[in-house]
Amino acid sequence: MKAFEYAAPATPELALQALDGKDSEALSGGTDLISRMKDYVTSPARVVYLKEIKALAGISGDASKDGLTIGAGTTLAALLAHKGLKDAYPALHQAASEVGTPQIKNMATIGGNLLQRPRCWYYRAGNGLLAMKDGKSLVRDGDNRYHAIFMTDGNALFVSPSSLAVPLVALGAKVTILGAKGERTIPVDQLYTVPKKDGDRELTIGADELLVKIVVPAAKGKNASYEARQKQAHDWPLVMASVHLEMDGDKVSDAKVVLYGVAPIPYRSEAAEAALRGKTVTMDSAAAAADAAVSGAKPLSRNAYKVPLTKTVVKRAVLAAVGNRYWEA
Amino acid sequence: MAGWPESPRLIGTEIPRLDGLAKASGRAKYPSDMNPPGLLHGAMLWSPHAHAKIKSIDLTPAEKSPGVKAVVGVMKEGATVRYQGEVIAAVAAETEEKARDAVRAIKIEFEVLPHVVTEAQAMDPKSPEVFKGRGLANNTRKGNVQKNGDPEGGLEKADVKIEGHYSAPVITHVCLEPHGLTAKWDGPDKLTAWASTQAVQVTANELAGRFEIPATNVTVLTDVMGGGFGSKFGADLWGLLAAELSKKADGKPVKMFLDRAHEHLAAGNRPSAFAHVRLGATKDGKITGMIAETHGTGGASGGANFPLPYVYLVENRSRSHSDVFVNGGGARAMRAPGHPQGCIIMEAAMDDLADALGMDPLEFRLKNLGERDVVNQGGAPAPINRTKVYQDQVRIGAELIGWAKRKPRGTNGAGPIKKGYGMALHQWGGGGAPDKQVECMINPDGSVEVRSATQDIGTGARTILAIIAAEVLGLEVKEITSNIGNSTFKPGQASGGSTTTPSMSPPCYNAVLAARAELFEKIAPKLGAEPGDLSLAKGQVLVKGEAKMSWKDACRQLGMVPITTLGKFTPGLSANGVGGCQFAEVDVDVETGVVKVVKIVAVQDSGLIIDKMTWNSQVYGGIIGGLNYGLFEERVMDPTTGVMLNADMELYKLAGASDIPEIVVRAYETEEMKARGVIGIGEPPTIATAAAIGNAVTNAVGVRVPHWPMSPMNVLNALASNQGKA
Repeated sequence: MKAFEYAAPATPELALQALDGKDSEALSGGTDLISRMKDYVTSPARVVYLKEIKALAGISGDASKDGLTIGAGTTLAALLAHKGLKDAYPALHQAASEVGTPQIKNMATIGGNLLQRPRCWYYRAGNGLLAMKDGKSLVRDGDNRYHAIFMTDGNALFVSPSSLAVPLVALGAKVTILGAKGERTIPVDQLYTVPKKDGDRELTIGADELLVKIVVPAAKGKNASYEARQKQAHDWPLVMASVHLEMDGDKVSDAKVVLYGVAPIPYRSEAAEAALRGKTVTMDSAAAAADAAVSGAKPLSRNAYKVPLTKTVVKRAVLAAVGNRYWEA
Repeated sequence: MAGWPESPRLIGTEIPRLDGLAKASGRAKYPSDMNPPGLLHGAMLWSPHAHAKIKSIDLTPAEKSPGVKAVVGVMKEGATVRYQGEVIAAVAAETEEKARDAVRAIKIEFEVLPHVVTEAQAMDPKSPEVFKGRGLANNTRKGNVQKNGDPEGGLEKADVKIEGHYSAPVITHVCLEPHGLTAKWDGPDKLTAWASTQAVQVTANELAGRFEIPATNVTVLTDVMGGGFGSKFGADLWGLLAAELSKKADGKPVKMFLDRAHEHLAAGNRPSAFAHVRLGATKDGKITGMIAETHGTGGASGGANFPLPYVYLVENRSRSHSDVFVNGGGARAMRAPGHPQGCIIMEAAMDDLADALGMDPLEFRLKNLGERDVVNQGGAPAPINRTKVYQDQVRIGAELIGWAKRKPRGTNGAGPIKKGYGMALHQWGGGGAPDKQVECMINPDGSVEVRSATQDIGTGARTILAIIAAEVLGLEVKEITSNIGNSTFKPGQASGGSTTTPSMSPPCYNAVLAARAELFEKIAPKLGAEPGDLSLAKGQVLVKGEAKMSWKDACRQLGMVPITTLGKFTPGLSANGVGGCQFAEVDVDVETGVVKVVKIVAVQDSGLIIDKMTWNSQVYGGIIGGLNYGLFEERVMDPTTGVMLNADMELYKLAGASDIPEIVVRAYETEEMKARGVIGIGEPPTIATAAAIGNAVTNAVGVRVPHWPMSPMNVLNALASNQGKA
């Protein structure tokens, strides 16, 4: 790890001053940044520690009424302990409960989860986000078992690493960002972008900006997440789906279906959403939505298995939202 | 010579390991915890490339780097590195950070050369010949065909035949404590090293040889250590470098332990195994022939052979094996070298053939054991027929797993979660070496010490020696000081091949028996008795069965002179050759490919068991290692850049607590087995687990999952390929 300057500001404003936007990195739980620094993937001149900023942590609001405001510095353990989270936002609760280990949940924050950098092993080996060498993609020619199956015509083949972004997008959550010009609030999906060339970032938040809070509106209907992973203990999801279904009686009036592990961004499946609209949720309609979800998937050389896996997680998330957990029977 | 006690008080019972509490509470000091005063920290520059020539190297910037006390070059300009992780230079500095910074300051230019890092890449005729001068084509060393009987004719005679392609990847040892040692010179010719090793004396001899000092001037200490599994048998290059850096730094201690990435890259691995197997049998289930072509890679240097056929009698057979060389770290012995691979390949083919025959795979296996499979008697009163042992073990295991509930392959219900059962058999040696020694000291204050230059790599060696002494002397285990892990003691066994307990128990027993005899000689006159009338029990000296004097008072009679005896190996106290079987119950989700192991049953013999608790612990550990091999582990290499993509403990996957199933361990310890004496247990219980899990998964999902580990990717690919999709 390269030696660095260290700042531990007590207020968001002081943090902004410390984050000069050139060669600084914000540190919160440290479960991502520290490993990147040890591996020389990221070697900032200055590290700005955010956990001294009391205003960034904490949860307010009533999940069952008008929604929650979650400080970006709230640990995943604190989020999971929040009363009412599981009832109002099972999609978010499920995803958060499956992150890492108890130790990681005690350290990691929701803001850090949203802003962690991709776990692509080519990126982590120092090849850059796009992992291009001599004009060719290392990912496309290499071991891409954990990579994207959508948007694969481009060169950004990593998968977006935040498993909390997925339910938050499905729930219509927004994030508030503090910058030199003041605060701005954007939908969670607009935090992410697809890098086109070397040096582009996958995050829209500036290196000189601070993620302050996440605002989750009241759920409009039923929601759920389903994650597939190799290990029971401490593992990344291979793929995951979060769904949010607005109901009109028995029928789905509107749907959000968002996928993890399939694209360089939290991937919204409009085809699956369309397949659900106007339908009652049954094994058949869930399976039809699952089929629709993978239409247009273009897997790479080693990850075709993610296509049936994605179908399964979509089907199960949809059914879980209405209380059908057929796979546990 | 005396045999083991007929009615032991301690031997065979469950006795907690002497250092268990210290280990569990963090008080135990591992070699990597040793920080002697004045400590310097070592770090190494290793090749970031799979294959490259060093065009130029300049160590000066490292020498001038802040806090640096010594720098040693290993490779010079013009040298070739053959794998990522190969060591080029080393540095010692005041802090670990300074040492790492200094390593990064070294100016080095590489000419990157073409590489091959996967078996397929190496064997592709279009790939470069990387290992020139070894007389290889396609980076492959072809072995001779081993032929027995008439394999082709045997297969022709078969009523039912199968043909399978199976594979298991390279995996690494992932010792919890990394490789390394701390070295410290006292003057120009005296060296002490705290080493994480399976062999204190081998390590000491290597250090003595490298620096041309008398072996007696080197002390290697390994009080406890954090796992070796076959990968820690010597000083290693990094250990020699630590000593060299220390010498350059005026004898200041230098600590050189590998980081996790370097562990994966350079500290050994289990070779891969690929097999194309044809196996045939008569319709009543007798194997008629087998033809197998296999290959695997042990990296840039190691071989990759494994036993095949395995366990079962195949009279008409042919086997050809090729070692494929790749630009990867070399293989090292890993817990039962070769056997887990052989077991996977053989047992998968056996299972597939049983399925093709429509036969219970358990029955099919029993039909194909040799009629008589006599293993080393080791002085036992009657020869051991392992076939008979297997028959018993399989019956016990089947009962414990609930084999009767098993359904034929692919008939496991309509829901997405399919239950499956699988099994596998294995065998191992585990005999002792006849040339080791143990000292026993009985002191006038009543304290007792046994000592030898062996070490406890986690198998319980320390505790086992104390149990034997306590048994003979009528004392409690905690009253014995078991002093091992010091290379200056009498020759002790290096811990490999499951040989430590069978090598060390006989000389320990003999040393303590001799000490007891000497004690009896000395105190008998004082008790007005003949030495032959004396015995020891519950801390008392008995005359003709009647307590006459406490142990401490008896020892006090020794005056100023302790009793010191030396025990050597005698035949009849240990033996060689074990068998076992394992069964797995799994739940497989065929919509996700996720495998959950529900239960593992292990039935295992290993002669006379000294400590049932550490014995069980070895079996649990072996099964958990095997479960990792079955479900998770895989070294992933990048064909383009030649580097390992998962040199970490994140994407190199290992079980966590919630991945561990119910594990039922049953020692097969009949009177006949006990009479054989001590046999090692370290390796056998890890052999069959992955094979049994793979067979259970296949039973559950209805198609052979031919590639280990049983990951969602490999399971879903097998299902898709069966549906013609992949």
